[in-house]
Order: sequence, then C-alpha cells, then structure tokens
Amino acid sequence: MAEGSPAKQPEQPEYIRIKFNLPRPYNWSTGRYLGKLYAEAKENKKLVANRCPKCKEIHLHAPTPVCPKCKVDMGWDWVELPQTGTVFQYTYQVYPLWDPHVGGIFADPHPPAIILLDNGVYLRHRLEETDTKKLKEGMRVQAVWEEDYEKRGQGFQDILYFRKIEE
Amino acid sequence: MAVRTAIVGVGQTHHTTKRNDVNVAEMVGEAVRAALADAQLSVKDIESFIFSNMEAFEGILLPDHGIIAEVGAVGKPGFKVTGGGTTGSEAVGEGCHMISAGLYDIVMIVSWQKHDCGDATAGISAAAVPTFAKGMVTGAVSEFAKQALGYMNESGAREEHAAMVRLKADRGACRNPYSHLKLGLTSVDEVLKSTYLVWPIRLYDFCPQSCGACVIILASEKRAKKIHKKPVWVADFEVVHQEPFRAGSFGDPTGTETYSQHVACERLYKRNGITDVRKQVDLAEIYEPSTWEEISLYEHLYFCEKNEGWKLIEKGVTEIGGDFPVNCSGGVLATNPIGATPVIRIAEAALQIRGDAGEHQATRDIKTAVATALGGPNWTALFLLKRSL
Repeated sequence: MAEGSPAKQPEQPEYIRIKFNLPRPYNWSTGRYLGKLYAEAKENKKLVANRCPKCKEIHLHAPTPVCPKCKVDMGWDWVELPQTGTVFQYTYQVYPLWDPHVGGIFADPHPPAIILLDNGVYLRHRLEETDTKKLKEGMRVQAVWEEDYEKRGQGFQDILYFRKIEE
Repeated sequence: MAVRTAIVGVGQTHHTTKRNDVNVAEMVGEAVRAALADAQLSVKDIESFIFSNMEAFEGILLPDHGIIAEVGAVGKPGFKVTGGGTTGSEAVGEGCHMISAGLYDIVMIVSWQKHDCGDATAGISAAAVPTFAKGMVTGAVSEFAKQALGYMNESGAREEHAAMVRLKADRGACRNPYSHLKLGLTSVDEVLKSTYLVWPIRLYDFCPQSCGACVIILASEKRAKKIHKKPVWVADFEVVHQEPFRAGSFGDPTGTETYSQHVACERLYKRNGITDVRKQVDLAEIYEPSTWEEISLYEHLYFCEKNEGWKLIEKGVTEIGGDFPVNCSGGVLATNPIGATPVIRIAEAALQIRGDAGEHQATRDIKTAVATALGGPNWTALFLLKRSL
C-alpha cells in the first residue's frame, strides 16, 4: 500500500467451500486379548491384564498375545488388578482442543493421570476431582465404575474416573 | 550401506498456517521444482518417487491422490509412506534402501502436509486405536505434558529453561526465510506469559501445525558427483519401533525415557565409532515437538549426561554460534508440516554441511550432522550425514 493512502482492509479472496461431512460407520474388533478386558469390565466390573510367562511383567496398555519385551507367546495367564492406587502423576487440560471422539472442540474437565495401582502396575486414566488445587501426587484413589450395564462395554472407559479416598 | 547414497537436491516451500491459494498438488509442486532446480535435474531424470504424508491429518486416507501428475510421477515406480511423526525419515530411509539395493540411481522423496485442510490433533486422536486409546490422549500435547512433568521432577529443570529453548528456536526461525512461526520473542518472561494448553505445556512450548512441502533428491555414488558439486552423503541411518502408550512398560511410566531412542542411538553410534557425540558430530537437526522434548532429547541422543540437558541450553552450547548447534533452522517448534517435518530436518542438516543455509548457517564449519525424528507408535529415526565419506 502506498504511503498516505487511506487505511483499508486488504481484500479477502472469496473461497468456494465444499462441505465434507461423511459419517463413517467403523466397527473395530477388540480381538481375543483386549476382548477379555472388555468382557470382564462389562460383565464383572473387573480390570484384568495378562502376564508374560517369561518376564512375568503385566502388560495393561493393551493386552497383547505377544510380550513386547520377550517376544514370546503370552499364553492365557490373567491377573485381576486392584482398583485402588496412588496418583503417580497428573496433568490437566487448560485449552480446549479438537477431539474426534467427542466430535468437537473439547477440554476434558477430568485431569488425565498415571495411577500406580496397588500391585505396582501403572494405569493411565483420569481423576474425578476437577479442582486442580486439590490434586497432589501420592493421593490415594479408587476406581468408580459406570453402574449402568447397558452403558458399559467401553473397555477402560467403563471406569468413569478415579475418586480420592481417605484411608 | 552397500551402495553409498547422497543428497543431491533439496527444496522446500515457505511454510505457513494457511495456503488457501493453492491445493495440495500445487503446493507440493513448488518444492519439487525447487529441488529439481537445486539438483539441476529434469523431472524426467527421476527414476522413482516416494511420497511422505501423514494420512488422516487432512481428513483423507489416500494422500497421494491428485498429486501424481503435478510432481511428474505418472508411470514411474514408487510408493507412499505414512508413519506418524517419522513418516519423512522413513521415506528418506526407503529411498536410501532402493539406491543401496541397486534398483535406481535417482530417487525423489516428496513430503508434505497441508494442515489448513484438516487438524493434526484430531488426526492423531483418531489415528490411535479406538478400542484402547479412546479418551486417554488429547493428541500429542497431553503426551508431552506427561514427559515434561516427569523430566522436571527428575532433572531440576525449570520452566525458564523451556522458555530459553523457544527463544533459541525463534531466533533461528527469524533467520530462516522458509520457517513458519517468526514470533520475534525477546525475553523468557514473554514466553512464560503464554497460556497453558495442557499443564505444564504452554502454547509457546509446542509446535504449530504448518502447511508446507519439502523434497529431497537422492542419488547413487555413481551419479551423485556428476549431479551436484556438493553432494551430502547419507553415511548411515537407523529406524527403531516401539509400541506407544505402554505406561509402565520398559520401566517408564511417563514416557520420559523412550526405549526406541536408546536402541537407535546405541546402534548408529556403535556402527560409526561415535563415543562422544558433541566431539565427533558438528551439528544436529532434531525433531522437538515441544521445548521440553528438545532438552530431553539432548540427553537421550547422548549430547550430554543424564539430567544435564537444561544446562546445555542455559550455557548456549546449542545456539547457532555454540560448540554444538542444534536446530539453527528454528526446528519443529517453528515449522511443522508433519509429513515433511523429518525431511526438513535432513534437508536443513544437508544445507548446513554444504554451507548453503544462508542467514541461519552455523558459525562453525559443519562436516558431520545428525538429523532425527520421533513419532507415531514411538518410532525413532536417526540419520548421520557427512560432507565426505
């Protein structure tokens, strides 16, 4: 723009917008191993994981037929995990971001956390307490399940969040 | 490698938030033309093409659809690579494999992302397997927040150190004509005023979503010296895989310690007799999605001892004029067209070795460089580039 010319908005080019909005009916198979976790959560409100026959490590995220470390068949050795633990680490979302699972811009009010379950297994989940001032590492927590049987069947998400407990 | 491979041409677009003036093909074409001009080759000389783009980030799953004619690849062999953050390094690696195997003498790596068509965070969340990752992550930001917290607790680094990384990146970006975010930041306080996305990751701690393309032309030893007077040699590379989101696996609950990085470094450095990275390598172009990840990578790539990464940034060791410059280009923090991001790392490292980086050329003479990438299911890619073999 030449000096001294009146200030005006630069011209915006006109764009032709094409609507792109396809519903996509996906059907994911859980498979046998992850399916076991889903079934135990839905039917019995239990959190289960499988254990490697060689290194004896429990692999929770997610159960697999092959140990990622030892590369041997895991077999069918299932362990029921405790539903209490301590908060190892937490964070919280401040700025809403696009989330396709929600279908829009979303900030989950429940702080994501890494929970050290009482048998030493780390679980990634979220906390009930949304007041970040009341959160602290080492806090004792317990799983809170979705009580409606019809609504369960979402795997790890059958646990709504972890609630602070006094002991 | 059996047959030596050289980089004989690089080209990139100016990277920006929006490129509504062009479509994907036209944008990619700009980088193709720039690389051909750099190599002084015709598109007819290219024997095979490899396409590098992260699917779903533009909302489609056939990203090469619609660009084949524009890049001159009709009737030519090749394939596409799509592997999260490391997509571009995998593509360059595959090009090296092709040439090493003696299949072709000249291969073009075509990489891009056009983020104004879509959303990377949505793409990442949607790309994760829905049966076990749903609701667990908010794209990459949440993952890097966990790492940042873990690192802060262990190392004693403070938010000021992360801010220093952004300042360094911003100085680089302002010198680099192609970079995306040129913020003109002048102080740590300015960085620390930016909003948190996911605590403790601030807006300025994280990389942008950019529109842009980068093209590299690779050639066999037989042809390289005739094509370019300053070929840059791919001395070696390593790509290592790791499953994501295994909190607790490999003794690493927060993801601070990435197993694949340790394995990749161990192999690449051992094969090349590298025992002291900062003495034996002159510069690095690393893939740092967050400021905290840059500090953390200094340690994981063995640029320094454990928990000392923040001291390198504090002492200015990794500045453009430092002993061991890192990301003179402004890095991923400034420019991030995901499918092209690792290719830009390799291209920028090559320009530094050639001495052709212009305003952001490192002060010291760069004969050897490493270029890295991370992403997807915790892949790590490492490239070792040299001026002469």
